[in-house]
Amino acid sequence: MGKITLNHITKIEGHARLDLEVDKGKLIRCELGSVEGSRYFQGLLKGRAWNDAPEITSRICGICSSAHGVVSVMALENAFGVKASEQTITLRELQTIGERIRSHAAHLYFLALPDYLGYESAIQMAPKFGKEIKRALRLIKIGNDMVTAVSGRVMHQLSTTVGGFTKLPKQEELDDFRKRLTDAKEDVFETAKLIASLDFPSLDSDTQFFSLNRKKKYAVSYGDVKVGDEIFKQKDYLDVIEEYHEPHSNCNFVVKEGKSYYVGALARVNNNFDLLSDKAKNFCKEIGFNVPCFNPFKNNLAQAVELIHYWEDTINILNDFKVRPEDIAKFKVKESHGIAGNEAPRGVVWHEYKIDDKGKIKFANVIAPTTQMLRNIQDDIAKYVQIMLDSGKKKEEMVLEIEKLIRSYDPCFSCATHFLKVRWH
Amino acid sequence: MAKPKVGFYDITGCQGCLLSVIFNEDEILDIINAVDIKEFRFIMGEKYDGPLDIAFIEGAVVSKEDLEMVKRLRERSKVVVALGTCACHGNIPSLRSFNEKNIEYLKYDKKNEKQKDFGEPSPIIKHINVEYCVSGCPPDREEVKRFIKEILLGKTFYNYQDPVCRECKLNENGCLLDHDKICLGPLIKGGCRAVCPTSGLECYGCRGLIDDASFEDYFKLMKEKGIDPVMVKKHMETFAGIEINEKLKGTKWEKLH
Repeated sequence: MGKITLNHITKIEGHARLDLEVDKGKLIRCELGSVEGSRYFQGLLKGRAWNDAPEITSRICGICSSAHGVVSVMALENAFGVKASEQTITLRELQTIGERIRSHAAHLYFLALPDYLGYESAIQMAPKFGKEIKRALRLIKIGNDMVTAVSGRVMHQLSTTVGGFTKLPKQEELDDFRKRLTDAKEDVFETAKLIASLDFPSLDSDTQFFSLNRKKKYAVSYGDVKVGDEIFKQKDYLDVIEEYHEPHSNCNFVVKEGKSYYVGALARVNNNFDLLSDKAKNFCKEIGFNVPCFNPFKNNLAQAVELIHYWEDTINILNDFKVRPEDIAKFKVKESHGIAGNEAPRGVVWHEYKIDDKGKIKFANVIAPTTQMLRNIQDDIAKYVQIMLDSGKKKEEMVLEIEKLIRSYDPCFSCATHFLKVRWH
Repeated sequence: MAKPKVGFYDITGCQGCLLSVIFNEDEILDIINAVDIKEFRFIMGEKYDGPLDIAFIEGAVVSKEDLEMVKRLRERSKVVVALGTCACHGNIPSLRSFNEKNIEYLKYDKKNEKQKDFGEPSPIIKHINVEYCVSGCPPDREEVKRFIKEILLGKTFYNYQDPVCRECKLNENGCLLDHDKICLGPLIKGGCRAVCPTSGLECYGCRGLIDDASFEDYFKLMKEKGIDPVMVKKHMETFAGIEINEKLKGTKWEKLH
């Protein structure tokens, strides 16, 4: 068969490339990498004012700008010793959940579903699946409106800041969401049923699941980190994970003790199953979705389960939530060091800053979820390609299957540094 | 009448501009039906290399590949739209030009060496003529919608020319300059409905300079407030740094770093 190069993988966020080399039916090389132009965020931040960090880092990615913006604020709070109020924490969670609802709905319907229904794109799907596309747009709209109500804009947050919010959402807006969410019940469950009806290929990822973990609440923001049976503090992240570079890629790879790990919806569901909402758990039971689940394709199913969870959880939050006037917490900018992790739609994102006594950033480190999942995707592709080679699959079919596998991870190569070019060598 | 052939493209950026098109949730299906979308890499797998009536491009030119793509799109398209601040002004990708000493190029990475050799990152409009610039980081969804409507109706789209302060006043906001914030509102084109200051965030300048921007007055005001001019200049460089540095050439603020 020789070589395969998938040169610009489409229907993903950003640009990537895959190189495969096959000799006598055996895969001998599998290299996945980003071909996104580098923007050097960490270097850009050096010498700038501390409060520029959330503004600049939210531009890492349009689809998960809230995850970056919020975690940037949290890392700065950890640096300055600011304790966010209960109201601030809840509002940040609502912003993060809103982004997750729009991201999951967009990914499931526009990027993943065409693969399973045999369409080239959601645009080609539209004539026959108009009802489904409209449902997706309604869910995206609710998510977008939540992000806008809390953070001031649909992306690249405005009011979310260190110590609280420069402008608070109006109670009427939140009440309106509670009603709209309640009315969206059918959209949420029809989505979950549709995704559960898909024929997911079989594959077992040799991996460990990595996510945030709180004692009483399903992973959104805050909390410790759980990987396998271990729990560690966010500030110790670099004792646990390690970045390294492979020459074929514009972005780094990340491992834990030399081994790849899994971040994203499947990791969150596997690690926090007991904390899912009642309706989400019931749905898993009904469709026979058991954890731990090691099939990377079922990340799409985990996203659907999360849609139910976040929908129910948000209604519960909003039932008891009354916005009260609150000033931004007082704090002193000082020489300091802060670290925070947050769950982006596609997995944990890390921000770390060192600030000097004048309030200037002297060091910044950002590790996006796609950087962390890259090695796991590469390992899964190698395993899946060998299975397909052994069963005598044609090259064209294999390329489609590889793209489907990559897409199931919901990677975002803008964050990681763009997607699939496969080169078969 | 045949539907116009339209393509949506992205070079180096965050894809937020293309999302600003899709995120018109109530109108996007009508937009898709009104045109013949030939390419939209973010949501379509298809490849097309034929003529286009309208090409929307987001992102900044940071590499040879980016440059080849925008040049080829120019050759193929009747109308090219630079969408968003990266395409119109260079935005965050071009920040590295003002931060060379802080950028650690990945020495072990040949591709990044090539990117460095390519030269300074720059907006699309530096390399090709475009018919329209729709700036903003992100572009305003309402403005994107209005833009698409007007060009499909064969009208000419005009950019808003007044400073951000005008819309900010119409929103009855207090002035962030009074709170010693480095707000670029007086220097920068509005049309954004002053969304940032209205939410309490100072203007970072994502729509570029108004024609008669007075740096003299602005730096004087900042000096009176005791704000370090270096930090003021860094703030100015965030989104429209290339344009602003061009204006500051030959002035006493040119070498400020």
